[in-house]
Amino acid sequence: MVDVTKNLKVYTTYGPKSAKAIQPNVAAKMMSKAKRPLLVVGAPVLDNGLLERAIKIAKTGIPVAATGHSMTGFVGKDVDASYINIHSLGTFIGDPNWKGLDGDGQYDLIIVLAHKKYYINQVLSGIKNFTSLRTLSIDRHYLQNASMSFGNLTPEVHLEALDELIENL
Amino acid sequence: MSGMTKEDRIYMSDLNTGVFSIDELENVQITIGSIVGAIEQQMEEEKDVGPNSKPGIAGLRNWDFKLFDRYEPVYTPMCDQCCYCTFGPCDLSNNKKGACGINMEGHNAREFMLRVITGAAAHAGHGRHLLHHLIGIYGKDHALNVGPSNIIAPNTQTVTGIIPETLGDMEGVLDYVEEQLTQLLATVHAGQEGAAIDYESKAMHGGMIDHVGMEVSDIIQISCLDFPKADPEAPLADIGMGCIDSTKPVLLVIGHNVAAITNIIDYMEEHDLADKIELAGLCCTAIDMTRYKMEGGGTPKAKIVGSLAKELKMIRSGAPDVIVVDEQCIRGDVLEEAQKLMMPVIATNDKLMYGLPDRSDDSVDTILEDLTSGREPGAVIFDFDKVGELAPRLAQEMSVIRKEKGIKALPTEEEFKELTSRCVHCLACELACPMNLPISDAMTAAEGGNIEPFEILHDKCIACGRCEQACPKDIEVVNVIEKAAQKIIREEKGKMRAGRGQISDPEIREEGVNLVMGTTPGIVAMVGCSNYPDGTKDLYRIADEMLRRNFIVVMSGCSAMDLGMYKDEYGETLYEKYPAKFLKGNLINVGSCVSNSHITATTIKVAAIFAQRDITGNYDEIADYVLNRVGAVGVAWGAYSQKASSIGTGCNRLGIPVILGPHGSKYRRALIAKPYDTDKWNAYDARNGQTIDLPPAPEFLLITAETVEEMMPMLAKNCIRPSDNNMGRMIKLTHYIELSQKYLGVMPDDWHVFVRGETDLPLAKRVELLKILEAEHGWEIDWKRKKIISGPSKQDISAQPTNIKRLCKEA
Repeated sequence: MVDVTKNLKVYTTYGPKSAKAIQPNVAAKMMSKAKRPLLVVGAPVLDNGLLERAIKIAKTGIPVAATGHSMTGFVGKDVDASYINIHSLGTFIGDPNWKGLDGDGQYDLIIVLAHKKYYINQVLSGIKNFTSLRTLSIDRHYLQNASMSFGNLTPEVHLEALDELIENL
Repeated sequence: MSGMTKEDRIYMSDLNTGVFSIDELENVQITIGSIVGAIEQQMEEEKDVGPNSKPGIAGLRNWDFKLFDRYEPVYTPMCDQCCYCTFGPCDLSNNKKGACGINMEGHNAREFMLRVITGAAAHAGHGRHLLHHLIGIYGKDHALNVGPSNIIAPNTQTVTGIIPETLGDMEGVLDYVEEQLTQLLATVHAGQEGAAIDYESKAMHGGMIDHVGMEVSDIIQISCLDFPKADPEAPLADIGMGCIDSTKPVLLVIGHNVAAITNIIDYMEEHDLADKIELAGLCCTAIDMTRYKMEGGGTPKAKIVGSLAKELKMIRSGAPDVIVVDEQCIRGDVLEEAQKLMMPVIATNDKLMYGLPDRSDDSVDTILEDLTSGREPGAVIFDFDKVGELAPRLAQEMSVIRKEKGIKALPTEEEFKELTSRCVHCLACELACPMNLPISDAMTAAEGGNIEPFEILHDKCIACGRCEQACPKDIEVVNVIEKAAQKIIREEKGKMRAGRGQISDPEIREEGVNLVMGTTPGIVAMVGCSNYPDGTKDLYRIADEMLRRNFIVVMSGCSAMDLGMYKDEYGETLYEKYPAKFLKGNLINVGSCVSNSHITATTIKVAAIFAQRDITGNYDEIADYVLNRVGAVGVAWGAYSQKASSIGTGCNRLGIPVILGPHGSKYRRALIAKPYDTDKWNAYDARNGQTIDLPPAPEFLLITAETVEEMMPMLAKNCIRPSDNNMGRMIKLTHYIELSQKYLGVMPDDWHVFVRGETDLPLAKRVELLKILEAEHGWEIDWKRKKIISGPSKQDISAQPTNIKRLCKEA
């Protein structure tokens, strides 16, 4: 079992509220229990072995919002993935009139993986302050603006953590 | 004037500006500088002024609210606290209110507006300074001349109703700009403006005002300093750290206001020093140096080092012998860094003085002595004649002194090895890095003799220096990166077309129809700073792709510079490869930051010249025209400064959407529409006032994109406008679909919403697309005639879309 909650350092702070550190098995449990989870995956998924993990997670039935140009990684992989701009997604996701990527309605857990840290933190800041959605970061940086997050990890430990999470899904 | 007869009496309305003598009074001259209300009086006499002449801060609120109804403000706060006043700090998270009553939305809208007016003030302050300076030399009656155009100042005319002809006329324009900025800044006080939406309107006002201030700044320097005047043949300038010949004395200027620098250039020419001293520039002063005295062509009188991201790198290289700074995008630690390497700093503008003594009244020889001896690290000098003489002389002397003293900048090979082996891989640098760049891995590789990872980091690193402050082992990380990248830096030699200024009226006459009908697929205007998410080459990739597809690509500022750094397989930059007229498939550099006003001006000119709209004091009608008919998208891929936010916001109020790079999310707010909310995608038909459906484009006014690959199809899609004719829509849809397939690997899921009939469909894919429309969207197709029978939304191609009721005939 890998401990991903040891390093929660931030260089600058967004304010008094911080994400709760979470272990891979607990994150997996939350994802499994969610009724309408959405995995939001950014372009860095195309590097360093992250894509195969993202696909494995998607194959458990979690739909993927493919942001940036990450969609190229999901084409032909038999997963439910759709392209969407992440700034638009962050806007629509709190709108009760939005029907979701598949037309089936709102999501109840937003999981983020493989993003530029500074960028996803801004998107999460909007969700945190203006919606009641729960957000879970399984990225390799501690994301203060998520509701729950892995800590800061090396790329190698991050892959281990994802593998453990996938095993528990 | 008692005792005058009626015939002697002077009426105020008869007065003109100028110098007058009175016959009866010897040795008495009366100078009338300006007459309050004279321009307004002239305007009233000459022609009608539009409904929005010189709007106050609420003057265009109705237009803004129309925009916000579709393009909703989206907030992504940088900080959950407000630390403005002594009530605080207040925790505003979850949209709570602070002690003053303002909530998170309002606070962020206020913060955004503050960024915008800071940027606008930077340009307007620059313009006012330049105007004082140029009037002092050329006089108020000096005629404005921007090239072959009757519409000299489109933004100014549209916003203020003023049609300026002389330098003196610009004073009244800036009076208006400054008043608006003061009123806007006043609203920041305490909590007062409770509605975020009203702060948003105020931000729009600041953005619009910025384009007036920028326009004044650039027009007056074009008119007085012999800059190229709407010249598609503006010369090519050398750019890149590799083109700087440091065997000569190097005089480096940094900033945005070329006023003092022209004196340096003149002095160097007069004293035959042009070949003896390397005059190099960073940021927009560099661009404007290459425009100086280039009206008739020739070789630019300076070289360009590059954009803001090169600032610390250039200083740390040790190459400059003297640094001259003016204003705006200049690091706060230039003096501190320069001192370490014995480079005197001359500050020439009161916005930035680094605590240095004001030596404006001292002789050049005395200042020279104090600086060469090291008694003073630099000087403030407001007398530009003295700056002109001092800087080149100082560079020559310091070059010798610094060589004699063996001033050494970057680490030696041995020191480099020691530094990389000193790293303990604690990752503090990566946590501090704004990009979280993989510095630790690069250190490991370098320790093993592989410097390639550092060479890659060189282009991505903006040389902010945060890593160095975080390092517990005091490793000067920027120096390490730059040392490793020496080979690459030596090869950084490109070409940038000197800024040409405005697009001329005849050019608009030729191309306007293609833009409005869509047969030119769009204008992509790449502006802004150098805070790129993945290095400078992104700009090349964007421009290259869009130029190949016949878009008009317009550049300015730091983006214009960084684009010139890359060459194709034949060794040509895009500036050398593509012509620079305002025609499809052309690449234009309008100039420096303040030249951004020519981009908005171009769309205004399309309305004025192609559509014969009266632009004078008629902002909302023109913005409505641009939003619905001119397929232009701004890209600020490396947006960093407050000025970038004001430039972008000025575009937004005029109906031009802007895409920012991912760092742009830190501006805290975007303007994003909901394509699924069909109620928002309609307008009036100006022919009869009836409501008509619109295509969901542009689908934002301000948004960020994550990667260049994502942005490519966004650009094509958001050039779609209701006014596209069938050929135009077909061209635009072709690009949208092709770019999506090329960069995202899929057909876009919304291409069908832009289809009004079969003739909108890309010719080569028509049958394939008709099949998809039938199978996946349930549209009825007449397969014999390959025609659509039913399905598309009712977007009437011949309609005259407008969002303003008063422009409808029935109204």
